[in-house]
Amino acid sequence: MTHTAMVAWSGLLLGLLFGAAGRLSGFCLMRGLANAWAVEPAQRDTRKLRAFAVAMAVALLGSQLLAGMTLLSLNDALYRSASLSWLLVPLGGMLFGYGMVMANGCGARSLVLLGSGNLRSFVVLVCLGIAAYMTLSGVLAPLRVWLEGMTTLALPARDLPGWLMQGGLGAGMARWLPSLLLAGALLVWALSSAAFRASPRDWLGGLVIGALIPGGWYATGVLGFDDFEPVRLASLTFIAPIGESLQYLMLSTGTRLGFGVTVVAGVLAGSLLTSLATRGFAWQGFPDHTRILRSMGGGTLMGIGGVLALGCSIGQGLSGFSTLALTSFVALGAILAGAGLGIRGPLALSKV
Amino acid sequence: MPHPARQLTLSRRRLLRTSAGGLLGLGLLGAAPGLLLSPTALASDAWQRLDAAQQVIGDATPESSGLSLDLPHVSEDGSAVALTVGVEADLDDDYVESIHLFASGNPSPEIAVFHLTPMAGKPEVSTRVRLNETQEVVAVARSAEGRVWATAREVRITVSGCLMRGDDVQESLSNPRVSVPDSFSAGQPGEIRTLITHPMETGLREGDDGEPLPRHIIERFTVSVDGDTAFEAELHQSVSANPYLRFHLAPQASGEAAFEWHDDTGDSARETRELNVM
Repeated sequence: MTHTAMVAWSGLLLGLLFGAAGRLSGFCLMRGLANAWAVEPAQRDTRKLRAFAVAMAVALLGSQLLAGMTLLSLNDALYRSASLSWLLVPLGGMLFGYGMVMANGCGARSLVLLGSGNLRSFVVLVCLGIAAYMTLSGVLAPLRVWLEGMTTLALPARDLPGWLMQGGLGAGMARWLPSLLLAGALLVWALSSAAFRASPRDWLGGLVIGALIPGGWYATGVLGFDDFEPVRLASLTFIAPIGESLQYLMLSTGTRLGFGVTVVAGVLAGSLLTSLATRGFAWQGFPDHTRILRSMGGGTLMGIGGVLALGCSIGQGLSGFSTLALTSFVALGAILAGAGLGIRGPLALSKV
Repeated sequence: MPHPARQLTLSRRRLLRTSAGGLLGLGLLGAAPGLLLSPTALASDAWQRLDAAQQVIGDATPESSGLSLDLPHVSEDGSAVALTVGVEADLDDDYVESIHLFASGNPSPEIAVFHLTPMAGKPEVSTRVRLNETQEVVAVARSAEGRVWATAREVRITVSGCLMRGDDVQESLSNPRVSVPDSFSAGQPGEIRTLITHPMETGLREGDDGEPLPRHIIERFTVSVDGDTAFEAELHQSVSANPYLRFHLAPQASGEAAFEWHDDTGDSARETRELNVM
């Protein structure tokens, strides 16, 4: 088997696991935030958000362990850019966060829901994929490139360890000090809730999904390693890949099957198989036209925002975060802020 | 008797209506095959509109089947588009002598010329090329006995999906990499892959200070087996940075292969590999 085929198959496997785990655990950053920030204190429930924190901690420790064993260098990851657009990354993150609330789930969650028969997610995904490619290489791309060029800001370092090393820390210390502190803080916060500890569905879901992130780095960085025909280093992310999957359906004879597309296909299949096996599959449609509009609007905002912010809640929140890239902290903060605007405050959307 | 003017008006109206319908029909008839076939229909004679390709073809009438050119339909990164060109025609004792690649829409159309010998075994070469806009890539191949093939393929180039990155500058002609099969069967082609670090600076790009960066490219790559040239490539500025070449060798007996890269400043790099024929 060629190395590109190995990468494609491992993408499918990781996607299947993500789809199954997502379906069984209901893993969803948006649901976590909406539950945690509910207006009524009595309705507040932080278990889903704590599951996301566990996933972040596991992804971070696993990825840094891979990089620390010098199996691969996370330097080639998209997130670790030496500069960022001070306008587009925060703006994109906020658009994505708001769109996620509008569509009632992020791109990955929509794939999982579609696999269980939720047709509203189909509308979200099609709009998301088209909007992503409009921004990446279509009609909005010239504007994006122009704005990017006008607002580029050089970062002091590509990532947190690089920044600490400039402050005089050794390489090992600079890697493990922030990794252990951040992962420790996330785990301590997550496990401080008795309700969360008593909910294996949530913590197992977070654990498994978090572990898939280093799996993605391993697939593209180690299995996909080839001096002559390198595979682009990547882990789980869903905005560009959903667009790429739509493009692959239309142009497959002239394009090569890559990691992103097989992950998307895997998530869909994993969720579908799990739904059928647990007899949870049920067709769901739209109650009225405003829900269609919300799905379309949310998908479009996530597509545009996800490309501007270089990733979604999974792409930046888990994969990007696991590399400790400075860009990812900015993007993740903006995604949370955008979601916050959609959940509470003057711009809040009604709960659906 | 009807009024002549009125008759005229009527018939003119009918004429207009029928001709409008006819025009529409003709338009559809014309457009339908155009829509269905345009990429191939346009591509098949792209080499005729390209002077550089015409010079290689000369007076010969090129065969259109037998030469394959494999490129993605759509590429999001015009700085490195994977390309494979190969002659699949039945050659008997004849062999492919040269394969020429052109990018019709680049500032200078020449991409590369590959000179092959009988020792190059299978006439199939892969590399990565720069394409600065949506355009047709043209390939022309010539055999030792004078057969000529030409083909073209349209590639759509979109804006790069990546942010600009401050990539670390690496030393030119450093880190040559060569992969050869562990063993060959006598006369059977085996796949060779080579890669070397080099900016392939086009001379058309401005640096951070606004001054044009001087042209700096690898111009020639040669492979010889025990002193006999087996494969040679002339590279131009449309070949991507860190030139990658995949080709074949079919040695009759074990020997030493020497791989040499020469750039336009006179520098060169050399690697050798043992070829084991079982």
